[in-house]
Amino acid sequence: MYRQFCVDAPKRVAYSVHMQNDTHTPSDADIVRQVVTGNVNAFEFLLKRYQGLVLRIVNSHLPNHEVEETIQDVFVRAYRSLPTFKGSGDFSHWLASIAVRTCYDYWRKAYRAREIPLCELTDRHQQWLENVMSKQSEELSAPKGYRSEAGEVLDWALARLPAEDRMVLELVYFEGLSVKEAAKLLGWSAANVKVRSFRARKKLEKTLKSMILKQSGGDTHENS
Amino acid sequence: MRTLEYRLEALKKILLQAYHQKEKLELGDQWHMNVMGRVRRLGPLQARPDPLMQFGQFVWRLTPVTCLLIIMSAAVLLKFDFTPDYNVLISFITDVEEISLAQLLPL
Repeated sequence: MYRQFCVDAPKRVAYSVHMQNDTHTPSDADIVRQVVTGNVNAFEFLLKRYQGLVLRIVNSHLPNHEVEETIQDVFVRAYRSLPTFKGSGDFSHWLASIAVRTCYDYWRKAYRAREIPLCELTDRHQQWLENVMSKQSEELSAPKGYRSEAGEVLDWALARLPAEDRMVLELVYFEGLSVKEAAKLLGWSAANVKVRSFRARKKLEKTLKSMILKQSGGDTHENS
Repeated sequence: MRTLEYRLEALKKILLQAYHQKEKLELGDQWHMNVMGRVRRLGPLQARPDPLMQFGQFVWRLTPVTCLLIIMSAAVLLKFDFTPDYNVLISFITDVEEISLAQLLPL
C-alpha cells in the first residue's frame, strides 16, 4: 500500500555512498578523528568525498535557487556536529540524515515565513492538465525539464501540504524509501512516519482530485 | 468517459516522472571555498562537547515534562482550594496558645 505512489518510480535516490577499500585513502573515521582533534583542513576531504551525495539529496528536495546555499549549510552543520558522530556508524548515512533535516528545516522556515506561493494554477497549467487527461495511459510522459508544467503543477500541489507531510511524501512515495529508512533520516519514530505518510498521500490525492474535477467541470465519474 | 480514479492515477504517474526528471544541478568550486571559509571561521572543534552546552541541551529536553507538570499543578491548585480557611486563621490569631494539631485536623 505504501509503495502505491512509487510503483513506476524509475529510480531511487541513493542516501549513502559505498566507499571502496583502499589502503591509500584514509577512512571516514580517520578523517573525522583528525578534524575533531583540531585539523580543520582535513574536513575538505569529507567535503570532496560526499559533495555528490549531498548535492543529490538537496537537489531532489529543494528548488534549484536554494541548492547551493543549503549544501553549504549542510556541511557547516555537519562540521559542528562532528564530535557527536560515532565512528562505528556509516558516515554517509549520518551526513544524509543531516542533509534531509536541513531540507526539512528549509521548508519549515519557508512555510512559516509564507514564502510558498499558493496562487491558483494558470491557464497554461489548465491547458496542460487537459492535454494530460485526454491522453491514453501508454502515451503519458512528463515533458523534459523540471520547469515544465508537470513540475510546476507538482510544486503547486506539494505547496498545499505542511512541511512535514511534504518531506515524508517525497521520501516515502516519490523516492521509494522504506518507512524505517525515512524515519532514520528524519529522526522521527517509524510509527510517526507511517501515519504521516499515509495522511500526506491522502491529502495530496484530495488536492489532485479537486484539480481534476475543476478542470473537467465535474464531467468525471467518481469511482472511489 | 474515464473515472476520476483513472485520471488520478494517470496524473500521479506523470507527476512522479516529473519529480524524477528534475534537472540535475552542477555547482562550481566557489561553494567549496565558502564552506571551508565558514568552517575555518568557526575554528577547531572541541573533542569533548562543552559541558555547559550539554547542560543546555539536557534542560531543553526536559522542557515538555516541566510544562506538563506546571499545567497539572495549576489544575490541582484550581481544583482544591488552597486558600487558608478563614476560621482556622482567626483561631491562630486570637488563641495561639490553645491551638493544637488535634483541633486543626479531624483526628
